[in-house]
Amino acid sequence: MRNFRFSAAISAVALLLTSCGGGGDSNDFGGTPSPSPAPSPTPSPVDGNGGAYTPPSLESLSIADVQTIIAQAVGEAQARNLPSVIAVTDRVGNVLAVFEMNGAAATATTSARTALGALNNPPIDVQDVTIPAAAGAIAKAITGAYLSSAGNAFSSRTASQIIQEHFPPAPSTAGLESGPLFGVQFSQLPCSDFNQRFGNSGAAALIGPKRSPLGLSADPGGLPLYKNGVVVGAIGVMGDGDYGYDPNILDTDIDDEEAIALAGIQGFSPPGAVSANRISIDGTQLRFSDMVVSDLSPLQSNFAAINGTAGNLIPVTGYTAGAIIAGTAYGTEASGIRPSTASEFKNTDAFVLTDGTGANRFPIRAGTDAGSVAAPLTAAETRAILEEAFIIMSRARAQIRQPLDSRAQVSISVVDTHGEILGIVRSPDAPIFGTDVSLQKARTASFFSGSMAASNLLGYPDTDVAAFVGRVRTFLNDPNALTGATAFADRSGGNLSRPYFPDGELGRPNGPLSRPIEDFNVFATGLQSALIFPNLGQHLAFVTGASLTDTPMRCTNTPDVVAGQNRLENGIQIFPGSVPIYRGNQLIGGIGVSGDGIDQDDMISFLGLHNAGLRVGGIGNAPKTMRADNIVVDLGNANVRLRYVNCPFAPFLDTNDQNVCEGL
Amino acid sequence: MSAVASSFLPIMAVISGQADQMEAQQLSVEDMETSLNALLASEKFDWLRANNANPARADLNAGAGATEVDVAVPNNETTTSEPPEADPDKVVADAVGDEQLEMDFDGVTADEALIDGRRRPGVHKELPERVTQNNPGAISAPPPEAFPTDEFPVPDRWRILQSLCPQKGSDESIFKVFGALQHNCRSTLNPYGQNVLKGDKPIPADKKPSFLKGDDWFFVVNAISDTVIEPRSFPIPVGIQTTERPGSINVFGRSGSEVYAQTFITGLALIKGSTAYKPPDVEYRLTLATQINHVNVPERRVLFVEPSKKSRRTDYFVGVQEAFFDYHLRNTSARHDFDSFRIGIQPMQADFRGFLFQDNQLGFRLFGTRDNNRVQYNLGAFVQLEKDTNSGLNDITQTPRDSYIFFANLYRQDLPFVGLTSQFSVTYNMNREKNDIQIDDNGFPVRPALIGDLRGRSYDVIYPGYAVDGRIGRINVSGQIYGAFGEDRNSIFTSEPAKISAYFAAAEASYDVDFLRFRASGLFASGDGNPYNNIEAGFDAIFENPIFAGADTSYWIRQTIPFAGGGRVISINGRNGILNSLRSSKEQGQSNFNNPGTILAGAGMDADLTPTLRLSANANHLWFHKTESLEALRVEGSIPSDIGWDLSTAAIYRPKATQNIVFRLSGAALLPGKGFKDLFDQTDKRDFHYSILFNAILAF
Repeated sequence: MRNFRFSAAISAVALLLTSCGGGGDSNDFGGTPSPSPAPSPTPSPVDGNGGAYTPPSLESLSIADVQTIIAQAVGEAQARNLPSVIAVTDRVGNVLAVFEMNGAAATATTSARTALGALNNPPIDVQDVTIPAAAGAIAKAITGAYLSSAGNAFSSRTASQIIQEHFPPAPSTAGLESGPLFGVQFSQLPCSDFNQRFGNSGAAALIGPKRSPLGLSADPGGLPLYKNGVVVGAIGVMGDGDYGYDPNILDTDIDDEEAIALAGIQGFSPPGAVSANRISIDGTQLRFSDMVVSDLSPLQSNFAAINGTAGNLIPVTGYTAGAIIAGTAYGTEASGIRPSTASEFKNTDAFVLTDGTGANRFPIRAGTDAGSVAAPLTAAETRAILEEAFIIMSRARAQIRQPLDSRAQVSISVVDTHGEILGIVRSPDAPIFGTDVSLQKARTASFFSGSMAASNLLGYPDTDVAAFVGRVRTFLNDPNALTGATAFADRSGGNLSRPYFPDGELGRPNGPLSRPIEDFNVFATGLQSALIFPNLGQHLAFVTGASLTDTPMRCTNTPDVVAGQNRLENGIQIFPGSVPIYRGNQLIGGIGVSGDGIDQDDMISFLGLHNAGLRVGGIGNAPKTMRADNIVVDLGNANVRLRYVNCPFAPFLDTNDQNVCEGL
Repeated sequence: MSAVASSFLPIMAVISGQADQMEAQQLSVEDMETSLNALLASEKFDWLRANNANPARADLNAGAGATEVDVAVPNNETTTSEPPEADPDKVVADAVGDEQLEMDFDGVTADEALIDGRRRPGVHKELPERVTQNNPGAISAPPPEAFPTDEFPVPDRWRILQSLCPQKGSDESIFKVFGALQHNCRSTLNPYGQNVLKGDKPIPADKKPSFLKGDDWFFVVNAISDTVIEPRSFPIPVGIQTTERPGSINVFGRSGSEVYAQTFITGLALIKGSTAYKPPDVEYRLTLATQINHVNVPERRVLFVEPSKKSRRTDYFVGVQEAFFDYHLRNTSARHDFDSFRIGIQPMQADFRGFLFQDNQLGFRLFGTRDNNRVQYNLGAFVQLEKDTNSGLNDITQTPRDSYIFFANLYRQDLPFVGLTSQFSVTYNMNREKNDIQIDDNGFPVRPALIGDLRGRSYDVIYPGYAVDGRIGRINVSGQIYGAFGEDRNSIFTSEPAKISAYFAAAEASYDVDFLRFRASGLFASGDGNPYNNIEAGFDAIFENPIFAGADTSYWIRQTIPFAGGGRVISINGRNGILNSLRSSKEQGQSNFNNPGTILAGAGMDADLTPTLRLSANANHLWFHKTESLEALRVEGSIPSDIGWDLSTAAIYRPKATQNIVFRLSGAALLPGKGFKDLFDQTDKRDFHYSILFNAILAF
């Protein structure tokens, strides 16, 4: 299934071409200009009962909207002479339409260009894999839709900026740390037990979040769609045959796919005040799009004029039947994400995942791992953790949202040591991607802190995965590593999952869970990608029609804990935002948080758990002596300590306290 | 993290502008003159006077008499290149002692007056009637040839006095009649002794290399040791990738750190001219600074980009701080108004207090005086040399930066009225570093800075300025106004060209009561209130080294605050800088006009307790002008503008009451205001930050 395509290399070169941007407004993406920042909300005290958030209004794309979007994109593609495949999704990932232009390349190839710039030979993991162009377009659209909210408009270019080995990827940043969302591309996986699939019947037909055929995308050309300031979906464009990433954000790419997508979102652009360009991470501004409105040709918006002549709507196995459908309004029962009821969660601000018929998909419950731990989490304890974490979130200053001093918005998941979901709650407008990611993070923390981590990995049928155990043990100089003696937060495991150790430091070998830098790119992160590579292969074969069997709704081939229970059913995640849950010295689960800055995610999980422990007693964070920040790796000529969590600067809106996790 | 010695820059300025050295020379020459007069007055040497009075020898005397005339000419050039510094904290500046020269001559027309007993070229008093001696039978004095020449081995006038020095161990009774001679008979190891290696005397003719044509070549060697011991604290984020200690689970870690720096400044100069008597005709000068520095910080990835490296660093560097050729083009008046040019690495200070540009840089400067030294001008073009990261010294092994400075300024004494000097200036900084990527010696990117869109920038800024320095009655005043206008080709917030429109104003007034001086200071540098529009309103300098509000005794001027969370390798303010400019580095970064601005109000006092001991105290309050740029970069609303109180005190001890041995101990504390607390924290149980500076300067 892996084909060498020279076009990939050519396209990669094309991507590197730069220009001065055309002289127009560098931040004009078509949204309402916002010269003055919107006023910051006055923080009101958080009592844990709700009222701290205003849910987004119910907005959705109509069929006519989708037609307009496609027509605009096709018009630009024609002007640029780049026949493309164009996908439109709603906010929860339902594919509303896929339009294939005449002459569009039917496939694309994932980039094998490594972080060092060479084409990897032989390629590993998901590098140099031929994919259906439609799958690429859908993944890009889902990326734009899932990363965005009413407070932040992110694109697949933004994703590219925050997932590479240095942040941000640029010639000037070699030696700096990796992107804050390093590894997020391997979420929303087609094998996820959490993400929904096309083809549900009845009321469940459009519930989300839907899976992505390729996870999240770093290839520019995926942009979110807004109506009245609310995310209603996204567009993804695949046309150049190269499914890659942008290795240099200092330049201004002339990217046809992005221009086509930008034409598509005209009339549905994000407000200027919330575009990625208005959001900084450590003072580094994020990037929405290198193409701006002035780069576009005159808009063509007549769908009838192009449908059937310039190309056709096409079905995509596993994603769309071919006809345009209207999008669901996020927040409705039909969308799969709705406000919680009083019986489900005390805090009325919470949103939960629903099955389309009103039933909470993940009602709060007790741990299912009585066979593995002496005293599993009780339902009350799970509830306390979620409630307290929700309060921390409500008090927290958002790091990636406009207007300034918005409240953080995240998804929070709690799992037991078997990886079973004990509860998921979200804030009203938390970005969708964080739902699956919070679950990945919770499972990852629980898995690597657990006594069975080594044996589960060693039990993976592919020796490539099993080999990681030995590498970790050698690296840490601990033959018993991964057997539960250490509490690994996702930040700690992430330290071991970077292509340089310590993170970003040139000239150092890779972390034991990563790939050597000579092999590394965003399609080959190491254990993370190796774990789900077979699932991805199965799925792509299904999409292309090569196979009639889709990947099971359960990622990884690690052995079942008990029948039907697997610890890593949506893959692992390797960027910060989770901690394992302990009762004394006993691991009993994990809490994962995703959706805002990674330090905020860390704090919400860490302090939420801490406060829940104070409230109900018995449970809490790992004892300090067990935490991974006691591990010092001897590199021969240097000692490098792992990290546990990192609570943010100026964390709360209601106090000016700093260093709020000190001593805990 | 540059560790330039606190006292280093002023010292450099002084050496290079020769102020200190020339001052020393001038003093010794004055000594000589005094001694000479005394000598001539003494009976023992009556014959000389007789000779002098002999009308038959008038033609001979004309040549000798010029010596006396020239003595009174001030060294114009010194004041031109080094405008008088007025900060009392800067011990080095004291040596200039300009204030003493500013005597009140109200009521005297300076141009016309001829003080009794003095002569000046071009001005002649009406001569008395010619006296014709008619003394028949008198015996004329013996001709000079009659005297044995071996008794007067004086090769040049600088050596007259020393020729009288008694041999070691021999009869020293001459000191009883001629006490001042002792000062001219000191060992050459004494920095105040006459020394051919220090330019007190010209190179002896027999030792002069043949390529030096003509007479009056002086050779000057400088040697200065500058020692800095500096314990300080500032907010430091823990390492992102790894931390020094377990349990580091917050952004901010420990704050205390220490700097040790030892700098040896060594210089050579070759000067042709009369040194103290008039501007030199030619000067070649080379000054090297050799620094060894050691820094110890409590957290990882502060000193090196590599988090695996230890949190200590020892570094050394040899920088070329001066390497120039200076040529005296011409005199334009009988009073030695002149035009000169200087090319090479040379000190340059754009204004009285070093607010805009004060550095030793590579360039060409045409300068001179007019109107009896009451007008001084400079025209210059400089290219910025790359700096060594950890010492801040010039690194000539790297390609100079694509940053050029062109300036013109004019000083006018007694404008607008007597006692005040006005300076008018236009400075243009042409920066073309858009395509430049510069990684500093510690591995951190400094250009483009890791802030905003991270894209490279070029910019053109013109700084019109007006400054005043002097006194109004008994109140000493110093003031400066600058504008900054131009275009930034790429705003880091909008990725588009933006206009630069920013302002700066500062003033300091002081009043002396006996041995006490009371000071009041105020400074305003505009901030950018809307980073997302196409106007950059934050004032930033080219290379500031402000001698203001306590200078490096003050916490905010001395210490650098990393802008944790708002920019990696970005500091709120620079070392030895006062502006909140959000640059990657004062030494290596570009100017940033998207900054929060600075407001300072303060008061201070200096007490000259004894000639050897001075105590100073300063209390300054600081604010950001506009915090919107900070808020945008931190994605954090409502950051208060109050930085806090900066309280400092310093003791300066000069055991010999000279500038050759100077010790300084200063301590400063920053008591954080609401804005600072909103931005930063630390894990130490201490609610203030400190800056302690011990500095020892030994000069030969």
